[in-house]
Amino acid sequence: MLSFQSSKNVLSLAEDLLFRIYELLAAESDRKSFRLVCREFRRIDSLTRRHLRVIRIEFLPILLRKYPRLQSLDLSACPRIDDGVVSLLLTRVGRGSNSPSLGHWAWGLKSLVLSRATGLRFSGLEMLTRACPCLESVDVSYCCGFGDREAAALSSAVGLRELNMDKCLQLTDVGLAKIAVGCSKLEKLSLKWCMEITDLGIDLLCKKCVDLKYLDVSYLKVTNESLHSIASLLKLEVLGLMACPLIDDVGLQFIERGCPSLKVIDVSRCEGVSSSGLIYVVRGHRNLLELNAGYCLSELSTALLHQMKNLNHLEVIRIDGARISETSFQVISANCKSLVEIGLSKCVGVTNMGIMRLVSACINLRVLNLTCCHSITDTAISAIAYSCRSLVCLKVESCNMITEKGLCQLGSFCLLLEEIDLTDCCGVNDKGLEYLSRCSELSCLKLGLCTNISNKGLSYIGSNCLKIHELDLYRCTGIGDDGLEALSNGCKKLRKLNLSYCNAVSDRGLAYIGRLEELSDLEMRALHKITGVGLEAVAVGCKKLADLDMKHCEKVGDSGFWALAYYSKNLRQINLSYCGISDMALCMVMGNLSRLQEAKLVHLSNSTVEGVELALRACCARIKKVKLFAPLRFMLSSEILEILHARGCIIRWD
Amino acid sequence: MQDGSVNDLLQASKIQDWDPSAMLNNLSFLGQKIHQLQDLVYLIIGRKGQVLGRPDELLVQQQQLVTADLTSIIVQLISTAGSLLPSVKQTLSAATTSLGQCGEFGGVVFPSSAQGLNDGVQPQNAGGSKVSELPNSVDITSNNGNEQSNHIIEEHELKDEEDAEEGENLLPGTYEILQLEKEEILAPHTHFCTICGKGFKRDANLRMHMRGHGDEYKTPGALAKPTKESSSEPTIIKRYSCPYAGCKRNKDHKKFQPLKTILCVKNHYKRTHCDKSYICSRCNTKKFSVIADLKTHEKHCGKDKWLCSCGTTFSRKDKLFGHITLFQGHTPAIPSDEIKAAPAGTSDGATNKVGSVNFNLSYVSSESEVQSSSMDIKGGIDDAVGYFSPLSFDTCNFGGFHEFPRPPFDDSESSFAFLLSRSCNYSQKSGEE
Repeated sequence: MLSFQSSKNVLSLAEDLLFRIYELLAAESDRKSFRLVCREFRRIDSLTRRHLRVIRIEFLPILLRKYPRLQSLDLSACPRIDDGVVSLLLTRVGRGSNSPSLGHWAWGLKSLVLSRATGLRFSGLEMLTRACPCLESVDVSYCCGFGDREAAALSSAVGLRELNMDKCLQLTDVGLAKIAVGCSKLEKLSLKWCMEITDLGIDLLCKKCVDLKYLDVSYLKVTNESLHSIASLLKLEVLGLMACPLIDDVGLQFIERGCPSLKVIDVSRCEGVSSSGLIYVVRGHRNLLELNAGYCLSELSTALLHQMKNLNHLEVIRIDGARISETSFQVISANCKSLVEIGLSKCVGVTNMGIMRLVSACINLRVLNLTCCHSITDTAISAIAYSCRSLVCLKVESCNMITEKGLCQLGSFCLLLEEIDLTDCCGVNDKGLEYLSRCSELSCLKLGLCTNISNKGLSYIGSNCLKIHELDLYRCTGIGDDGLEALSNGCKKLRKLNLSYCNAVSDRGLAYIGRLEELSDLEMRALHKITGVGLEAVAVGCKKLADLDMKHCEKVGDSGFWALAYYSKNLRQINLSYCGISDMALCMVMGNLSRLQEAKLVHLSNSTVEGVELALRACCARIKKVKLFAPLRFMLSSEILEILHARGCIIRWD
Repeated sequence: MQDGSVNDLLQASKIQDWDPSAMLNNLSFLGQKIHQLQDLVYLIIGRKGQVLGRPDELLVQQQQLVTADLTSIIVQLISTAGSLLPSVKQTLSAATTSLGQCGEFGGVVFPSSAQGLNDGVQPQNAGGSKVSELPNSVDITSNNGNEQSNHIIEEHELKDEEDAEEGENLLPGTYEILQLEKEEILAPHTHFCTICGKGFKRDANLRMHMRGHGDEYKTPGALAKPTKESSSEPTIIKRYSCPYAGCKRNKDHKKFQPLKTILCVKNHYKRTHCDKSYICSRCNTKKFSVIADLKTHEKHCGKDKWLCSCGTTFSRKDKLFGHITLFQGHTPAIPSDEIKAAPAGTSDGATNKVGSVNFNLSYVSSESEVQSSSMDIKGGIDDAVGYFSPLSFDTCNFGGFHEFPRPPFDDSESSFAFLLSRSCNYSQKSGEE
């Protein structure tokens, strides 16, 4: 009676109140529960939903009908999206349809993620841009077929403000010019790895799209000429120049005098840039918030340090790989008081004293990267823990001198710690993990190569750090099934787990892994004890499994792979190299897993050429990347290779 | 002193180095001369206003007269100035025009350094001063012999011919205008044998031809290039007029710009007033009237065509991008043949081979309407749901496949048979299509 009344109360809520309740639900899983309550709740969900990330393309038409008010559509997980699909969606589900209920899903769309949609060509893009008049943001990164004609099709989206074209390898200056002229309102543009782009294209872009606030030209072969053009952008706030081999200090001189709004600059891995170039940048931009200069400085020179005194607003600095003296830390901490993140990965000269000086004033520090700063010890860690109470992320990979004492301090003071990388810190033991487990906010823990930890240590983590979603136990040979039991009991939110080379793990351990329903990413290379039974348990239990790496799991038999083929419907990447999978099982895995995009199939001892051929035929429509044994190149039929090539699949021969 | 000839002045400057009283005399002389010059300029302006309407021979004559007067005054001015500042003498020749122009303002200010003067004045000279009779003034001011002066004249002329193209600024009347008739211009040959009438393009070829008409044409003298007799006496500059009435190159045009050589006349006439009869064999679009232009174009035609959406082509990418920067809304055009080739080559081929669904019809070309494409698809695909379902492992056929609780392993044999049959189907399909 009571339950009936309460449910009646909830159901009798007015619609606007339901909307407000719904808006307060942040987590996707909560929203899912909400819409499963009743039809009315589902209606609220479908009317309110603005964003949709589609995992399986076969449901796309239904979903688009269900959610008429979408503003953001993410198709990056649908490898099979191509011109034909787009045409169907627009004509059958879209405005071309006679039925009004089919709605105008494309009309209100503002954001479209088409990342890795290698099958999409200019005709599909043209239809999309024509159907979506409100389009403001498009992501076509990693579309290796995206070239100038596709850019021309996209350029008719005149309202575009954000565009990501990372690794559109076929894009040239001509395509960029199309975009620059067509989409003149562009504010954010990323051109990483668009290797054909030259100074001419960048120059035109800077002249046509004067509203640019964010520009990333990392890895391009552009020269100082481009920097000259970029310097004219008055609104530019973020400039990415990572690993541009042809730019140097002369180019940065242009930046000194231009880009008055610059807030963030990344010149890391620029071979031609030295500290004098950075002096120009720092001198011209006192209000810089973020300076990324990893692996381009040999030394943090005194002249640069002198200029950095003026960067009072600096929040993030990364000078990975540079030589740094103890006095430099003093200068930084005395002047850059608002620092939130410091990257000192592989810096030479980082000492306990230096770190102590640094943290004495930078108390707002949230992220600290001390990867490979071998000389720091528990003293430095204690100082960090004591000063920086709001520390969120600490990376101390390969700092061998850290022991449980340091971790004790962290566990006592840094209660907000979310991420810690202790890879290759052989001083970490079970006691250390016990101290660390006091950081209950911990979500990412990397313990790779920590051979001194055992099941006992892991059980502390399992019982206290309930928010963990990423755990790396690579080559933690002390970890066995009992540790995994403890883990599976506590860390229910685990999404990513690395168990590679944890030799002690057996089928029983995998059965515990199978209890982790959120697990999407599992790496378990070379687990020699596990068999098909263990894999079956994982496949049945981990329904969200998307990425499975089981290279060198030689004992797993066909029954395990059958289970995988039946249950792991969400699998997107798989590594089966050196596994004893048979032809039949391979065909089933490759053919039945409808989301599979990437497969590594090298050295399959129990498979024949025919089996691989058949498996490839079964998945050729959706597979995007496949790694095959090199001699197969001449044994597989040319027909299947052609089909794969035509579908935009990349084959790596090993 | 006022009536004293230029020679006297020169003498004076030679004898006395620097004398304040002589300088005062010279200055007053300069002042008078400048006033004379001023009057003359007024005169020119007045006359121009009068005869603006009727361009006839009278105007030319008057202009010539004025120019001559001007020249003599300038010459005197220069020499006077030269006597004032002996150290500048050697470089004064370059300053003549500046003097001529500055005359009106009643004084001449020399920069302290002679080099500076030189530099400062030369651009004006090149930029086209009103005074054209430069050689004469040089002749007098430089205290050198005639021969050297002539040498300078020649150099100057040569320079003129090389440098000045469109913007050549010769005063009207200072050169002889020749006008060839249309037939003459278009005639393939310009040198005709007086004996047999055979025509030649080059005089040298004619001379070679003449050898056949008798021994008298074989002498070294007859075969040698006829030397210019004009080297000793001052030559009259020849310029050419286009016979086409209304053309800017026609002598009756208001802003007449003469052509320099016969070759210029020929090329100009063909390019501007004739049909373009030579068509590029590669692109079949570009037309030319001068065969040399065609040959130049053919060298570059077809390689690296940079095309703008407005139809303009460029040989270089940076030129195209410069053009696009300049003009609002212009974009680089992507060659059309590529567009035609791509869908047929990659996508259609792939879909046919895969043989899953005939969605090759959905590859609508950019021009066609969305509506029409929807029709195509309806014809091509029976069931949209079938298209979206996982390829070849149809969910409808194998419902049991997807029910997780069902232990599937017991009948793996049959499901594999299904797989095989499907895949066989596959290869047959791909073979057919």
